[in-house]
Amino acid sequence: MKNRWFLLSLLLIFGLVLASCGDSGSETPQTDTEETTPADTTETEPAEEAVVEEVEEEETAVEDIAAEADVTGIAQIRIAVVMPSTVTDLAWSQAVYDSLLRLQAEAGGPDVMEIAYTENMFNVTDAAAAMRDYAADGFNIVLAHGTQYGTSMFEIAPDFPETTFAWGTAVDTGAEQGLTNVFAYEARAEEGGYVNGVLAANLSTSGVIGVVGPVEAGDAKLYIDGFVAGAMAANPDIQVNVSYTGSFGDTALAAEAANTQIAAGADVLTGSAQQVVGAIGVAAEQGVPWLGTQSDQSPIAPDVVVASQLYNWDGVLSDIIRKHQAGEYGGTAYALTLGNSGLVMDYADGLDGEAVAAAMVAANDIIAGAIDVNAIIAGEAPAAADAGDEEMMIEYPEIEPVRIALVMPSTTTDLAWSQSIYDSLVILQNHYGEENFEIAYTENMFNVTDAAAAIRDYAADGYDLVIAHGAQYGTSLFELAPDFPETSFAWGTTTNTGADEGVTNVFAYEPRAEQGGYVSGVVATYLTESGIIGLVGPVDAGDAKLHVDGFLAGVRDTNPDIQVNVSFTGSFGDTALAAEAANTQIAAGADVLTGSSQQVVGAIGVASENGVPWLGIQADQSPAGADVVVVTVLYDWVPTLLEMITANQAGEYGGRVLQLTLENGGQTMIYADSLPAEAVEAGMAAEQAIIDGAIEIVAEPRN
Amino acid sequence: MHKNRFDSVFFQRLYDALLPFAAVLAAFLIGAVLLLLQGVNPLEAYRELFIGAFGNKNGLSDTLVKAIPLMLVGLGIAIAFRGGVINIGAEGQIIVGSLLTTFLVVQMGENLPAFWGIVIGMIGGAFMGGVWGAIPGFLKARLGVNEILSTIMMNQIAIQIGFYLLRGPMIDPAELAAGTNIPHSARLARLYDLPRFTDLAQSLGLTKSAEELGLSGFTAELYGVLVEPSRLHSGLLLAILAAILVYILLWRTTIGYRIRSVGLNPHASRYAGMMVERTMVLSMTLSGMFAGLAGAVEILGLHHRMFEPTAVSAGYGFSGIVAALFGKLHPLGIIPSSILFGGLLVGGDKMQRAMQIPQVLITAILGLVVLFVVSTDYFVRKRANRRVSADTSTAHTEDDAQLNVEVQA
Amino acid sequence: MNNGDLTTLTIVVGILHSGIRLATPYLYAAIGEMFSQRSGVLNLGVDGIMLMGAFFGFFTVFKTGSLLLGVLAAALIGGLMGLILCVVSITYQAEQGISGIGLFMFGLGASSLLFKTMLGTVEGIQGFSELNFCLTDSFCLAEVPVIGDIFFHHSLMTYGAFALVPLAWWVLNKTTWGLKVRSVGQNPEAADSLGVNVIQVRYTAVTLGGVLAGIAGASLSISLLGIFQENLTNGMGFIAVALVYFGSWKPLGVLAGALLFSTVNALQLWVQVLNLNIPSDVAVMLPYLLTIIALALPFRRALQPAMLTKPFTRGEN
Repeated sequence: MKNRWFLLSLLLIFGLVLASCGDSGSETPQTDTEETTPADTTETEPAEEAVVEEVEEEETAVEDIAAEADVTGIAQIRIAVVMPSTVTDLAWSQAVYDSLLRLQAEAGGPDVMEIAYTENMFNVTDAAAAMRDYAADGFNIVLAHGTQYGTSMFEIAPDFPETTFAWGTAVDTGAEQGLTNVFAYEARAEEGGYVNGVLAANLSTSGVIGVVGPVEAGDAKLYIDGFVAGAMAANPDIQVNVSYTGSFGDTALAAEAANTQIAAGADVLTGSAQQVVGAIGVAAEQGVPWLGTQSDQSPIAPDVVVASQLYNWDGVLSDIIRKHQAGEYGGTAYALTLGNSGLVMDYADGLDGEAVAAAMVAANDIIAGAIDVNAIIAGEAPAAADAGDEEMMIEYPEIEPVRIALVMPSTTTDLAWSQSIYDSLVILQNHYGEENFEIAYTENMFNVTDAAAAIRDYAADGYDLVIAHGAQYGTSLFELAPDFPETSFAWGTTTNTGADEGVTNVFAYEPRAEQGGYVSGVVATYLTESGIIGLVGPVDAGDAKLHVDGFLAGVRDTNPDIQVNVSFTGSFGDTALAAEAANTQIAAGADVLTGSSQQVVGAIGVASENGVPWLGIQADQSPAGADVVVVTVLYDWVPTLLEMITANQAGEYGGRVLQLTLENGGQTMIYADSLPAEAVEAGMAAEQAIIDGAIEIVAEPRN
Repeated sequence: MHKNRFDSVFFQRLYDALLPFAAVLAAFLIGAVLLLLQGVNPLEAYRELFIGAFGNKNGLSDTLVKAIPLMLVGLGIAIAFRGGVINIGAEGQIIVGSLLTTFLVVQMGENLPAFWGIVIGMIGGAFMGGVWGAIPGFLKARLGVNEILSTIMMNQIAIQIGFYLLRGPMIDPAELAAGTNIPHSARLARLYDLPRFTDLAQSLGLTKSAEELGLSGFTAELYGVLVEPSRLHSGLLLAILAAILVYILLWRTTIGYRIRSVGLNPHASRYAGMMVERTMVLSMTLSGMFAGLAGAVEILGLHHRMFEPTAVSAGYGFSGIVAALFGKLHPLGIIPSSILFGGLLVGGDKMQRAMQIPQVLITAILGLVVLFVVSTDYFVRKRANRRVSADTSTAHTEDDAQLNVEVQA
Repeated sequence: MNNGDLTTLTIVVGILHSGIRLATPYLYAAIGEMFSQRSGVLNLGVDGIMLMGAFFGFFTVFKTGSLLLGVLAAALIGGLMGLILCVVSITYQAEQGISGIGLFMFGLGASSLLFKTMLGTVEGIQGFSELNFCLTDSFCLAEVPVIGDIFFHHSLMTYGAFALVPLAWWVLNKTTWGLKVRSVGQNPEAADSLGVNVIQVRYTAVTLGGVLAGIAGASLSISLLGIFQENLTNGMGFIAVALVYFGSWKPLGVLAGALLFSTVNALQLWVQVLNLNIPSDVAVMLPYLLTIIALALPFRRALQPAMLTKPFTRGEN
């Protein structure tokens, strides 16, 4: 068993603190807590972090509550919770469910507090139906325990003004839309992540730590960012390998990821989401310590789960209940933090004393404000030069509600061309909300005639911006565009807006793939030992050709002795041939591989099997081989899309040629942690030189 | 086209004609289950499908635009199947056809009158498609190379030739100048665009819109298709004309008789003194010519430039087979079957967009439709056999021979 | 140029090794199709069956981690798809060129739909790995120079594909069932009069073809690639059908065709890697071109099953 008494004592201390404040019950202001937090004495160590620049607080005022739950004496209440996974997931959903059970016991059992729940609501439409049913059924409080439920909940909430809704991870209570019965809550997972990171760095003897994440977003991303920051702060030489499985429930892959991490030298592991049960199993098998988050994961493997960041929703929930019964149905945004004990660190007994001490110091510094985890994360973001960094921080302008349609030649899951723009649209939608940012798309439009029909239909249907995501759609587009003068169209890769033909409402876009290709090429020269790099392309034209040209130039300019073998499969979708091409490249001596288009998943599979590093382009291809994708030239369409949207809304429907470059953030280089430092440095230098115009990428004619 | 022998036969035939629709319905029923699993109301989805394909002017024009290549390719397929060869190479034939068309028309700049430019472009397309069909025909006739194998392989070869030409010799100079290197040709001179229906209507003096004429409902939509601006082009007339010509060729000429006779029974034909090999080459050549023509019409009427080869052939080589066989391999039957099948493809896409369901779901449902419809033939044939035996006449009627078309390779 | 380091031997070994590996899915699918065609049924839907097999095989391994279960699942779904074709093409005597295309579309759509709903993104698994083939501890075939490099570094699925060839030959030529298959493809009336249940034999042959096509798909998704993606096969099934014609409906012929096609494909990849001055498009074209040319060589004449694509009705004619 782990150190339960620590948790208890922490609660006790907070109880005392609160008592000492005297004046209030559960709503103790944060400042009081900070001042009187115990262990302030150990403030000297993290002097460096303290200097880190301040980052402004979230705009939305987030209310802090103490985890001290007090639901004794409440009136009868019915609470329903809708969650994306199961109450036994040992993670996100279980954490809130356990809190509810605790409160129920305290309140006097099911007679006083009725709990209903619906699990596995990964389908948002189903979740919406469940929420509506609960509300209609007379439940007093409906918890929508997932960010994805927000839009639906905002639609439902006005119909049930006396029902309290709550959702998270979120800070938006819908007050701007006039909603009064919505609470929002979030867990500042990066705080505990940071503490775990410090702990991990102290526990690791190999100097390598493995992280098994689900999807690089939301709660998991916060946790992992915090974790990496903590580990690096404790030991700058430490190597943190982060692998994402691309799903929340993929237990097998998480297990595999853990195996891979261990094979890559990791001797401490962490991870988040319900999938980690697989990884913990592996950790237990191999005797590698595991640091948990969200829920108490020790039941699976008490021996290896040595520390946990526990989400304690008791305080948030009891406050919501109290407010509801006082007639206040919503309007507050809560945050679980270490400071308010919504996040609780739990350490196992047998842990190395020094490591625990370091972790506790870090936790206290966070509570005291001496460490600002978010600032560290932002400051240590791997993006290149500081100057460019600010530009890349995308400012989201205010926009009118917009409807965007996307017609693409492959699928939203192609890990390449089509997925890259779709992902960017989804990012924008997440930011602006579904009601302000509508996306419709049509996949697999390899038949241009069908694509033209789709484009026309979308325009006729009143979409503001119709994106024809393929050079082959151009002619049809120019034919259709004049019929819909107030609709913006966009297509690429091209520089032709049809101005010559008198078309005024078409945007043209082109990723300057040679730029990212060049940087990849530079990095690749540091990775090869054999002096041979293999490139698996689709057809030697367009975007792929630019990428190849740039890559060759990057290699040549850095180390002319290195040879790049280029092979094309003659198709964009021939996964098997791409795999065999990769095999051939390896047989011919290549020990670094790169390539483009959707077929390369086959090649990445081969790279992964052979442990050969892969440099990707277009979309993040790590799902196909997390351990080998070391560099990604990510097409980030967000700036391009925003430019088109704002132009459209200003009455300029077309005529611009938009480029995705390193300079404007249209291409982002992602370097894996496993890369040697000099390679990353050289890559960043090349990025900067391209941005400054110091490097001119000269392609040599090829066959 | 059926000659009634008994009154009751009329009803049986009607029943036969309705059977495919019942089959489509059955396939849609299974599709409905799939739709329900995706959380979509199937009735609403299918309503979108039908309205999307036939219910309004946009849908109708999309359907007809799609029917044009299906018809032309289908005619070619029908000739080959009738002649006892299987042509799975229409994809490649479309590609090489459209390549030569594009090359010729780009080369002429604006130096030829529109009519001659279009005619030369089309002849070029048909010629190249014919060559691409003649090669497997010749290989089969002279060297015993099975045409299924050679046509499948030649599709791939055509694709690669296309890519080679389009990223090299035939690339749009503007692409090189802009540095984007997209593999497509320059746009053909507008002079040589096939006239669209709306252009034709204008030259006939029909300039008023449906609203101005006070039309409403479906008449207005139909009028809209023919007169108001849409992508529908005169290739449709050409395709229908081609269907009639193929009908005459197959049933009113000696060559056609030879083709069909070799297809039905090569041994008997040889015995009767026909040159079986030469006829096979001829069938394949004609078949390729129509596919090549389809490519030419797509370029001249719709795309106006050549781009990614597979995006031009766009699966018509396969869906054309389906259209041809749904049309019972009869040139005149291919006209409605292309429109219906084209409508199904178009409607499926519209349904996907309206309901935001995965596009692949449509592919799966269409596959089911094909499987179900093709199964109904059995019942038609069975009844036909029963009729024949009831008739006690030993000679098969032409219709029955048609229904019993069997592909012999 | 570093390619000087590569000896001709390395390259030849590389090509042959690749060729053998690449032949795996073609072999399964084409041998299966051969049985089907030998019984008189043309199955153009192989590609669709392969896709279903690839998905189910992958998904099973992904969920259970058991490779054996994966292969079984692929075989099962392949058999089911084969049965669908049996009902349509044999019982309802549908036009075989078109029913296969229908099945292909269904398989393509259904497998992609399942992928979208059940996986959502490309995932990797640990599939069959390439073995070092050893007879005993002291004598390792894999370590024999050249021969070992070419032949004894493959996965179980690949060995299975090659073992299938003699097995198929034996089944087709030495078993009663094989005789029945050949007879119903050649002269169903005669077979029928001898008491052979033509329909039943065709059903089993086509279903077997489906099973093998399903395994062919799995050999891609859980052996060669270790991933599943929409339209993973990219038309391989059609090539497999063509290889049956190439092989004159004989297992050894199919083997020759599959090896020729895949070895030339491996060759063209090497041609590109070696920076020979040949446009990539021309290189990619090579396997298709050479396959046609090889078949055009005068020494071979195809002997097609006489009743291929012809449905059978008892008592007709």
